Amino acid sequence: MATVRPDDEAFEALFTAEYARVAGIANRVLADPHEAEDVAQEVFIDFHRLHSASAQYARAWLHRAAAHTALNRLRGARRRQRREVLSQAAEEGTQSIDPQKQVEVNEDRRRVREALARLAPKPAAVLVLRASGLSYAEVAQALGVGTGQVGTLLRRAESALRKEVTRGTSF
Amino acid sequence: MVDDPDAHSGADTRHYESCPECQSRYKAVAGDATHITSLLSAPDLHVDVASAFDRVRSAPAAQPRFGLRLPVLQPGRRPLMLALAATLAAVALLATAVAEGDNIFSPKTVTPVPVTVADLESLSQLSAYGDLTWTTRPNLQIAANEAEAKSISGLTPPKVATLPTGVSSTVTYAAMPRAVAVFTFSKEKAAAAAAQTGKSLPALPAGMDGAQLTVTIGPAVAEIYGNLNKPSSGSDLTQASLPQLIIATSSAPVATSTQVSVKQLEDYILTVPGISPELAAAIKAIGDPSTTLPVPVPIEFGTATRVQVQGVDAVALGDNTGVGAGVIWIKNGVVYGVVGTIKQSDAIDIANHLT
Repeated sequence: MATVRPDDEAFEALFTAEYARVAGIANRVLADPHEAEDVAQEVFIDFHRLHSASAQYARAWLHRAAAHTALNRLRGARRRQRREVLSQAAEEGTQSIDPQKQVEVNEDRRRVREALARLAPKPAAVLVLRASGLSYAEVAQALGVGTGQVGTLLRRAESALRKEVTRGTSF
Repeated sequence: MVDDPDAHSGADTRHYESCPECQSRYKAVAGDATHITSLLSAPDLHVDVASAFDRVRSAPAAQPRFGLRLPVLQPGRRPLMLALAATLAAVALLATAVAEGDNIFSPKTVTPVPVTVADLESLSQLSAYGDLTWTTRPNLQIAANEAEAKSISGLTPPKVATLPTGVSSTVTYAAMPRAVAVFTFSKEKAAAAAAQTGKSLPALPAGMDGAQLTVTIGPAVAEIYGNLNKPSSGSDLTQASLPQLIIATSSAPVATSTQVSVKQLEDYILTVPGISPELAAAIKAIGDPSTTLPVPVPIEFGTATRVQVQGVDAVALGDNTGVGAGVIWIKNGVVYGVVGTIKQSDAIDIANHLT
């Protein structure tokens, strides 16, 4: 008879509780739901191979790994190729939106992701995690910084992203 | 000033409620944050958690490797390669355990074997000559505390008497239950490897096809000093915090073989056409260790010296610059390792005072 290890049960509970959020963080970076789910599953597989699901740092680890893995993909060659077809990918499930409006939305998203890819890892991660709905305390845990530092990190990161977006449109 | 109301203390909240200037700044900050969030808008995501869990649960297990792939590190952290190589040497021993006589190899002492990194990595080519499977997959886990590490491994983590100056006292425990890997020699695979060079397979000794080498590693437990509690992505080594000091113990690896002796298996693989010079060199470097555990020392990263630790022979790596050093020894059937970004003299001192 197969036995279920306590850690397997803990992992399933962790997965059920955090999968949508982890995928959401990746989607916030990639603006591509399919690839975001790829990232989320890769992150959980990596976690399960090396860590105990009952570890106190489990959620923070997953959040940070989702952000960094997705940002790495965003910067990677594969992503650069896929970005070319971002418009088509993003249109799935949004057919009711005015096509012209959708084209504009997709162009904005592409421009912002290019800017995000040019940011240093920490500012990019802090923006993505906060925009994904994590509280200051959760962002702090994920990035291994004090909660009091998050506000300052966010302000600097927002400023850096704005500059990069502007730089990207000024050429 | 932050845009997360939960991040405000009670005093901040009371001040905010009576301060128009702060309220104005809060609106500006919150407005900026809203603008950034809208910039980072993303297509709707609809997840099917149950299906996703099934996919993750059915993901193939990590494949066993006979050999060692050294991690890629930032150039500035290259000296740590030495320490990591020493730590991971125990893993490489999977490939270096060679049976003698009654087909059982159980090392009692250690000896350094100079190899190149290419030699170590080339050992993974062994998979071209047979099938590698785990009958018990390695399951290295970060434990919540010492008691959990002991529960996972069945081993008591050794105690360090005094940490060298500069090494953080923050400790993380890692543990692994016993793991078993089996290499089954395949006539078909070896013939295919030979055919790639346009040659045929030499005559097989009796019992060679299907001969199995079974290697048992662990259980193992390690104390990792340094700020590892920062979460890091396993797929992004540049973001990882590297340890300052690792104290590891593991039951000595045991290798057994069926049908032929491991020496016969080794000798035959060396005659198969297509075997790379690097793999041949690595296998030859393993030699005929009998009851001695060879510690592969990448010659690009350091030299090894023989020293005495706790009254037994040990292999010391690195030097006294503090860039990286380690010491490995076997006592009473247990492999011990002390490695880190410390001086060699500190590593030996820690080793001699482990309890």
